[in-house]
This record gives sequence, C-alpha cells and structure tokens, in this order.
Amino acid sequence: MSSPPLVADGLGKRFRRDWALRDLTLTIPKGAVVGLAGPNAAGKSTLLSLAAGVLAPSEGSISVLGDDPLRTPEILGEVGYVAQGAPLYRSFRVEDTIEYARRTNSRWDREIAVELLTRIDSRAKVGALSAGERARLALALALGKRPRLVLLDEPFASLDPLAARELLQLLMDGVAELGATVVVASHVVADIQRVCDHIVLLTGGCVRLEGGVEELLESHRLLTGPRRPLGSIRGVREVVRERYSGRQLTMLVTTDGPIVDPSWTVDRVSLEELLLAYMAPERLPNVRKMERVALRWHG
Amino acid sequence: MAWVTWRQHWTQAVGALGLLVALAVAAVLTRLPIAAAFDHDSISACVPPAARTGCDIIVPHFESQFGGLVTATRVMAVVPALAGLFVGAPLIARELEFGTYRFAWTQGVSRRRWLLSKTALLAVGTVVAAGVASLVVMWWRSPFDTLEGRIGPSGFDIEGIVVPAYALFALALGVLAGLVFRRTVAAMTATLIAFGATRFLVSEFIRPHFMAPLHRVISATTTSAMPGDWVLSNTLVDGGGRQITASREELAVLHAQQAGIDPHTYILTLGWRRIVSYQPAGRFWTFQLLEAGLYAGLAVALVLVALWLVRRTPA
Amino acid sequence: MIEFHLDQQSGVATYLQIVRQVKDALRLGTLDVGDQLPTVREVVADLAVNPNTVAKAYRDLEREGLVVARQGRGTFVASTLAPASLQPYAELREELERWLASARVAGLDEESIRALISTTLRESLARRVA
Repeated sequence: MSSPPLVADGLGKRFRRDWALRDLTLTIPKGAVVGLAGPNAAGKSTLLSLAAGVLAPSEGSISVLGDDPLRTPEILGEVGYVAQGAPLYRSFRVEDTIEYARRTNSRWDREIAVELLTRIDSRAKVGALSAGERARLALALALGKRPRLVLLDEPFASLDPLAARELLQLLMDGVAELGATVVVASHVVADIQRVCDHIVLLTGGCVRLEGGVEELLESHRLLTGPRRPLGSIRGVREVVRERYSGRQLTMLVTTDGPIVDPSWTVDRVSLEELLLAYMAPERLPNVRKMERVALRWHG
Repeated sequence: MAWVTWRQHWTQAVGALGLLVALAVAAVLTRLPIAAAFDHDSISACVPPAARTGCDIIVPHFESQFGGLVTATRVMAVVPALAGLFVGAPLIARELEFGTYRFAWTQGVSRRRWLLSKTALLAVGTVVAAGVASLVVMWWRSPFDTLEGRIGPSGFDIEGIVVPAYALFALALGVLAGLVFRRTVAAMTATLIAFGATRFLVSEFIRPHFMAPLHRVISATTTSAMPGDWVLSNTLVDGGGRQITASREELAVLHAQQAGIDPHTYILTLGWRRIVSYQPAGRFWTFQLLEAGLYAGLAVALVLVALWLVRRTPA
Repeated sequence: MIEFHLDQQSGVATYLQIVRQVKDALRLGTLDVGDQLPTVREVVADLAVNPNTVAKAYRDLEREGLVVARQGRGTFVASTLAPASLQPYAELREELERWLASARVAGLDEESIRALISTTLRESLARRVA
C-alpha cells in the first residue's frame, strides 16, 4: 500500500507578512497528470517549492511519496523537480550537467536522459543553449533519475509553440515509460489542458477548484438564454458565474442531473473556459472584456 | 561529491596554484641578495647567543638593509583570508544568488551532505595550499628568524601551522557568511571584516596570555629589545615598584643634564629599574599549537552552525 | 497504420476522439482485422497526450470487442464495423455533395458551412432530448 505521491495538510507559507499559501489541504492521486493552474502569484510556485523541499512550511505539513522532503531529503532522488526558469549551471557543459545528475542520484538511467537530448551538442555550454534546449535538458535531468513524481514549474514559459509542443511530447513519453505522477504548474491553461487528467486551481493561495478533468467537465454546463428573473432550474445545482450581455444571459452552472428546460441552450465547456470562470474575481471589472469572452463561448 | 566539488572549484585550485608559484618565484628571487649578504658578512656568527665584536654594528645594518622587505612580507598575513573570500563566500552565496540551489539541493544528496562534503574537500585543499605558503615563508624568513626570533608578530602570523588554521577559519567564515548574507559580494565583505577583527582581537588580547608572561629586570639604561623573544611591555619602575610616568622620567633626565651627570647612571642611583614582560622564543611551537587549535576549533564551530542553518535556507 | 489527430477546440474528450477515429477507420475500411494500432507510447509521443487517455481509449475499444491487446506485442484490430452494404451511405453522401454545391452557389464559405452544419445538428439533437 503505497502513499499518495503528494499530500498537503493545512499547508501554509508566509513571506514576511504575506501568506503565499494558507490552510491548503490537497491529495494528488497516483499516476495522474495534474495541471496546477491559477493566475500569477496564486501560490503555484510556492506549492511546488515546498514539495521539492526548497522552502520550509510556515504551518501545516507536506509529504511527497510518503516522506517529509526536509526531514528525509533523500526522497528527492525519486522526485524530478524543475524550478521556474530551469536553473542550471551556465558554465557547465551539457555532458557535465548529466554527469552531475548521475553522481548525485542513486537511480540514473542514461537512456532516458539521452532520448530527450537529440540534436543537442553534449559539449555545448548550458548558457549557450536556446530556451527550448535548456528546458529539454532540465527535463532530461529530472526524468533521468527515474522519478516517481515529476514537478514542473512553468516549463513552457519563454518557449515558442514548437518547442513547447516538443517538450510536452517528450514529457508524456517519459511519463508513459516511467508511470510517474506529474504535476505541471502553468498560468497558461492551454499549454496543459491537452494532457491533464486532474486539475488543481489555486487563487490567492487557496484551492479554488480541484478534481478529475472528466468529472469536472461532465458536471458543468453553460446555459444561454434570454435575460429573465431566475427561479430554480431542474438539473442545475449551483450557478458558478453569470454574465449579462445585452438581452442575453449566460450562466456557468454545476449540474446534478440532465437539464431539459427548452428555454435554455445547454453547452459543454472547455477546460480553459471552466478555469477562467473560476479564476475571475467576484466583481466583474470590465463588462466589455466579458462580452468578448461570451462571444467565444458561442464558438 | 568529489567529482562535483572538483568540477565546480577547479578554477579556484588553478588560481591557488598560480598564486603559490608566484609566491615561490618571488621568494626565491628576493632571497638571493639576502643569502648573499648573510654569508658575505658572516652574520651567522652573530646569531645569539653567540656574539663577536662588530655584531652590534653588522646585525643592525643587515636588518635595516632588508627591513623594508621584511615588513612587506607581513602582507602574507592576508593570504589565508583569500580562502574565505574566494572559496568560502561564493560556495553557497553563488547558488543562492543564481537560483541554482533549486537544482543542486533537489537531487538525491541532502543539503547537509552536500555542504559537508564540499567544505571538507575544500578544507583539505585549503590546508595544503596554506601549508605550502607557510613553508615558503618559513624558508624565506630563516635568516631573520635566527636573528629576531619568530614568536613576535612579524613572524608568528605568517609561519608555522597557524597559517593553515587561519585559512580554515576564513573558509568556514566565508561559507557561513554566504549562507547568512546570500549575496557573494556581501558575504565577501562580511568575511573580510570578521576575519580581520578576529585576527586582531586574538593576536592583541588573547595570544599574549596563552601562557603567563615572564618578567626580567634589565638595566634601566638599555631599552633595546631582547633578540628572539617577544617583548610585551617595557616599564620603568621606582624602588617601591611604582611605574614611572614619562613626564617623571623626562624630569629626571633633565635634572641629570643640569647637574652634568650621565642620565642613565643618575636613573640607576635613584633606584629605578626597567622591567620587561615577555614571551620567550622557546615557546614558539607551544603558542603555534594553541593558536592553531583555537582557530581550528572556531572553524569547526562555524561549520556546525552552517550545517544547522542550511536546512532553514532560504527560509 | 492509423494516425490520430486531436481537435482541442471540439470540447470532446481526447479518449472519445481516439475511439471515434478508430471506429471511423474501421467503418471506412482503412483499418482491417489483424492491423496493429499504434502503441500507447507512439501515440503519446506523436500527439502529446496523456498516456492514461490512450490506454483508456484502447480499453474501451477492447471492451466493445473491436480490438484485442496482446501482452508485450501491442493492440490489434479484432473485428470491423464495415456495414453489410455501403449503399445507404453512398446515397447520403451524394445528397450531401449536392447540398454542399448549393451552399457554395449561395455564397457560403467553408467556415459558414461548418457553422451552419454544427448549429443545425446541435439544435436538432437538443430538440430530440426535449
């Protein structure tokens, strides 16, 4: 009976007086590909840093693969962590960096690492690589130790779409081979919605939404119809957001059954739209921006 | 970790080697005229306790001839600090500054093991390099050591086993400073200040008391230092043991001059004596051991603090 | 060997798209009994999708009896969906081509045609549910 790859319990982290995370409780299921979404400064990096033992919690606890990363730092030999910006020693050559990882991790599989480094000169200096090549190198180092948990903090930032797609392909291939659990933090949902089967949405240091992607998409619907006073609608459990545009009312709702009211047009939502709806603040600042989004919802 | 340490610090090793080579070359070049003068004037025959006629002229002449060079070598006291500034301070500060700690400390090696291994390996290198520098200085200073002794401040700080001990201390200081200040330049500055302050405090206030100083009464006329020994203080006391102030001494000399008597003889008739407090030359290695032990102990303590603190960084 | 593609904008789950594409290929005859489906790793490396998703699609197909997974060797087609006669489809196809010609004559471009088709399909499905 192995423990879940990542468990946070009442986790909190404070920097001086500001709480980056507060009372965060979360369990990541084994083998999932988890998208950690949320706007900038939502606490995604902080959460991953705490999981990787880079930061110490201010309150609460976090455990990876059953161990506290600060008390049992050896567990990090089974955690592939790539921090934001993929920090590496710029003066090292690629082959030096590989050697470094090989010597500091008890499990090392050269084949996996090398697969990710095709077309990269092993004698090139890390500082001379492009952003895409550096990201691939960092991923190679993370996957080369055959981790059971992979933590990636904004891996697609500063990558062009081609490099981002390539990185995603390599990541998924590595996951397929290793059977690892993956947590990818990205503030651009589009980068990760292709691959995630589990979503954790953070806003302001708290979990705003969490669950399997399929269940979430199945339990939410978009209702469009003429603007009118609302009673209760059969099949609708809760209204998450509503938007008015002229004579039209659009609502994102959670469902507890099929919605058969003919006065409403019922659509499914994409993951990105769902997350955006949960991310937006309660008070809508810019109606015009919302109208643009509403148009998109109608494809 | 041995490979990792070498790969990250080999440029420092090369720099240290270069420095030692330059030091050796400078030592050899400057030593040639010294050795020539030493032999030419047969100064070896003047080495205490031997004495022959003319020594009191030849020896001071020799010492003043190379006095500038001897004073210049005292700058070697700074060399151990280099271990702290250029090896110790950047060790952690660089990782924190460039964010690479998020890579280095998330592999299968714990932070403590990483720090301990690196520091231990670098300490070995530091001790070796500092030891070589110390040997070079000891070889260079040997004529002066025989004449003036080495327990005094001009020789003690740059010879013997204290030099590697200072370097270890500086290294440990640099490592801890890097951890505390998290920026290389700030860590280097703090290391330099702390190193300088500690060295000053120990050599001024602690070293003189490693063992109880000896006292000797020398004739009130002679104010010259005792060759080879480290004179700590030199006071004039009257018959009752009270210290004579400078003004009182001046007054006595004035009296004597007015009366047409030789001032030194006059002072003797007053019953005044000159008492010298000193550490004898023979205690050199004892003091070296004590001071080296002190600095090595400090180095160990600092490393322990760093090992404790590294778990809490960056907080 | 079939090559999959993923339409992220469609709102349809990835594994359903894979299942549908396999079924389409079976219907059209581009996949035949005994053909091997791409391995999970091949699909993943090609499309950059979650391996669990591909595995799920293949499991669903296996449950429906359309494919069979052979341990260590891959997943192979077990039966086809080719209907007994392609006639009904051929007629529908011709009708569709005639309608498309009319639409183009009416001045609709590809985008407008797609929009018209999807809106009409959706509304008709909604009417059927209601």
